[in-house]
Amino acid sequence: MLFFRSEEHVDRWCRQWNLSRGALLNLDQGWRLAQAWYGPDRREPDWRRKTVDEAEALFDELGLTSPFWNLRVSPAG
Amino acid sequence: MDQASQELDRLVRKFVYDQAMQRGSLPSLAETSTALAISLVDVQSAFQRLAEGHILVLQPEYGEILMANPFSSVPTSFLVELDDFSCFGNCIWDALGIAAMLKRDARIKTACGDCGTALELSVVEGRVQGDSGIIHFALPAHLWWEDIVFN
Repeated sequence: MLFFRSEEHVDRWCRQWNLSRGALLNLDQGWRLAQAWYGPDRREPDWRRKTVDEAEALFDELGLTSPFWNLRVSPAG
Repeated sequence: MDQASQELDRLVRKFVYDQAMQRGSLPSLAETSTALAISLVDVQSAFQRLAEGHILVLQPEYGEILMANPFSSVPTSFLVELDDFSCFGNCIWDALGIAAMLKRDARIKTACGDCGTALELSVVEGRVQGDSGIIHFALPAHLWWEDIVFN
């Protein structure tokens, strides 16, 4: 996931690398996603990765509801 | 997985993240072996299991840690500066994730993925601010672990 100056720069990068545009998040969404994903302390013995259901619920909560955020094809990241 | 392996994996995971969160860098196999008084072979096995569980990403040649998300063991375009150390995130999400994980103020120095213009963000008292810009996720979520290094 890269940071770009603007959507125009995203599109230029996609054209250069022959990639389709993926999903765009503004900084506030990115920060909230980072807090939710990385906030739980991974040093704790009972920490575990989020399940697909938990990850999708989190995406929904952040308004990330397009098919891009669907995890059903393989396990959560 | 047997209980002893699970316990070892928990111990190794805690050590890896302790090191990352205290100094910003990730421990080597040898360092982990020495610090935890565990054989190198057992640490290699634990790293491998943690990688299979998508908790670590290993360097394919040597089995050393490449990523313990959100931290990177190698320099990237996502420098995170704290008052007492600097470290690298794997991507912009991870750079923000380091500040989120540490629950500390941080400065993130990166560059536009397209034109290379330097961009700087700050996390101050739980809020993010700085240069305007936008985060782009290139791969759909279900493919993130298909190519985690690109992602």
